[in-house]
Amino acid sequence: MRSAFAALAITAALGAPASAQTLNVATAGDQNMVDYIKDYLGPMFEKSHPGVKVVAVGTGPGDSGSQKIFEKLSAQKAANTPAWDFDVVVIHQKMAGDMAKEALLMKYRGDIKTGSLVTRETAENSLGADVSGYVMPMFHSQTAIAYNADMVKDVPNTYPELAAWAKKNPKQFGYNGIKGGMSGVAFVAGWVYAFGQDGDKLMKGPYDAATKAGWDKALADLKDFNKNVVITPGNAGTLDMLNRGEIAMGPVWVDMFYTWQNDGKLPPNMKLKLVAPGMPGQPMYYAVPAKAAQAKLAEEFIALATSPDVQAQGIVKKFNWYPGIDAQHLEGKLDKADWQKLFTDITPADLASKGKPFPIAPYFNDILESYEKKVAN
Amino acid sequence: MTQSRLLALGLVAPALALVAALFLYPLGFSLVAAFTKDGALSLAHFGKAFELYSVDIVYTLFIVLLSGVLTALAAIAIAGTLTLGETPWAVAVLKALYRWPLFIPFIVAGQCMRTFLAKNGLMNNSFVAMGIIEPLQATSLLDWRGIVITFVWKQAPFVTLLLAGAMASLDRSTIEAGRNLGAGRLRVLFEIVLPQVMPTLLVALVLSFVTTMSVLSVPMMVAGSQPTMMTVDMAFRINAYGDYPVANALGVISYAITGLAAWFYLRQSIRREVAA
Repeated sequence: MRSAFAALAITAALGAPASAQTLNVATAGDQNMVDYIKDYLGPMFEKSHPGVKVVAVGTGPGDSGSQKIFEKLSAQKAANTPAWDFDVVVIHQKMAGDMAKEALLMKYRGDIKTGSLVTRETAENSLGADVSGYVMPMFHSQTAIAYNADMVKDVPNTYPELAAWAKKNPKQFGYNGIKGGMSGVAFVAGWVYAFGQDGDKLMKGPYDAATKAGWDKALADLKDFNKNVVITPGNAGTLDMLNRGEIAMGPVWVDMFYTWQNDGKLPPNMKLKLVAPGMPGQPMYYAVPAKAAQAKLAEEFIALATSPDVQAQGIVKKFNWYPGIDAQHLEGKLDKADWQKLFTDITPADLASKGKPFPIAPYFNDILESYEKKVAN
Repeated sequence: MTQSRLLALGLVAPALALVAALFLYPLGFSLVAAFTKDGALSLAHFGKAFELYSVDIVYTLFIVLLSGVLTALAAIAIAGTLTLGETPWAVAVLKALYRWPLFIPFIVAGQCMRTFLAKNGLMNNSFVAMGIIEPLQATSLLDWRGIVITFVWKQAPFVTLLLAGAMASLDRSTIEAGRNLGAGRLRVLFEIVLPQVMPTLLVALVLSFVTTMSVLSVPMMVAGSQPTMMTVDMAFRINAYGDYPVANALGVISYAITGLAAWFYLRQSIRREVAA
């Protein structure tokens, strides 16, 4: 009798009965990423795959969230575990390169039918590392300059125009430096692309430790620029100050911008501008660990997640991200209004010419540290 | 005798083990990491810490010291009113109210201040509505002033709590003697009460100093990052570069600063014990 209870307790504690399958999805990033899997994608997948249960685990925002996934997989690899705990992982760019290099991922993109729907550079190259075949972009996100159309009449088109505008309108431009979130980091990276020498090399490599010496002038100008701007507390801090009319212009994440505007936390007269030569954006990647227990299901899950319907309804309409797969495959899957909302201010052509990647990892660190040394201190 | 001594040792052993495991070991570890590079003794990490963050170190000291001074003034005013106030209901209300910030975590205080102190935030909007300032005169306090205001708001009740306790346990006859001889309340406060509770005030301020040195959430939420406090730099060093050695070097610099404060605290308490 007692052992029967114990068995019952163990079954209850371990959750699913042995016959059902569980698909474990680990995702780095903010809470909205976990919500997306748990509330939107998971239930949809369970419906089309009876008996399968999708379990979503969040590992935390930023690169440190991807770092945790990396540590778990590499520990299981080192211990020679036959089947690893995660079936699908959602990771940032910097870590995707390392994971592919250390053979922690499976080459699956060619096996799924949506694999051919993405031709963008980011599906092959992740901050300088070759990830071809190992990843599918879940979405692309982009930074841009948000401005209040009532307060800004002569909207700058380029970084030099923006610098001139900020000088003419002191304390009307605001960004969050480099310690308060990625929108500020993206603005600074864009500044170095614009005013440093050879921006292309920073995005493509090869790495040369001497390159950073060429940024002195750009960074001295940035220090000068900073005298006329407001340093805001964080990504949300910039949006807050735009909302309250305390600044008229500042760099933001496009998806956050639209989500805030939908929630009524930003006035409708706010607009976006992608200034030349361009600002960075980044994708999040779907990947399958090399020894995933449910590799087959994982592939089916990602195929669903990157199908034009889900990309249209989930990624674009619900969460205001740019699609992970090429945009032309979404045509006809969305109301015109939903589609245009995403491209009202920034056209697909803008995005193609001025949506840049972040610098490759070693240059990325050099930019941050040079900023700390020459601009902040 | 020996048996009871062994027993006593046994009783403190768990506490000592906890201190060793959770404080001394990490402390030693971070000291080693801060002072070595590639296995050899080196000051390189400190060089980098000063090269990148010298302004932030001075800024941190400035914020923490200014907050300390303002906290002391606020605490003296509140504790003085509680001790010498002659309007019973006002004293009762103040007594009930002043402790509230003690129960609010720093991060919540930071969050509230972020909307309260903004240029078009609650405070300025109220002032404008009351006709005290014109809308164009409104300025944002979300910079070093915001951090100082938050720290003073959070720490004044703590210092007041200790100070008011010390004042309450004073011999009232000294106060009454002063009042009988015609001294005003302010004079009684500064010439009779305060000198007697000075050691308590200093100790409370030292504890408050150490607390404000270590707060990460407030500078992160209230003000922009240039310049910023050392805690934010440490977090950034680790999150952006995975660079523990320089973060540890910054940590050692803040130990050194709080160590000075702790030395002051110990000197005070030893002096008090000798006097007692």
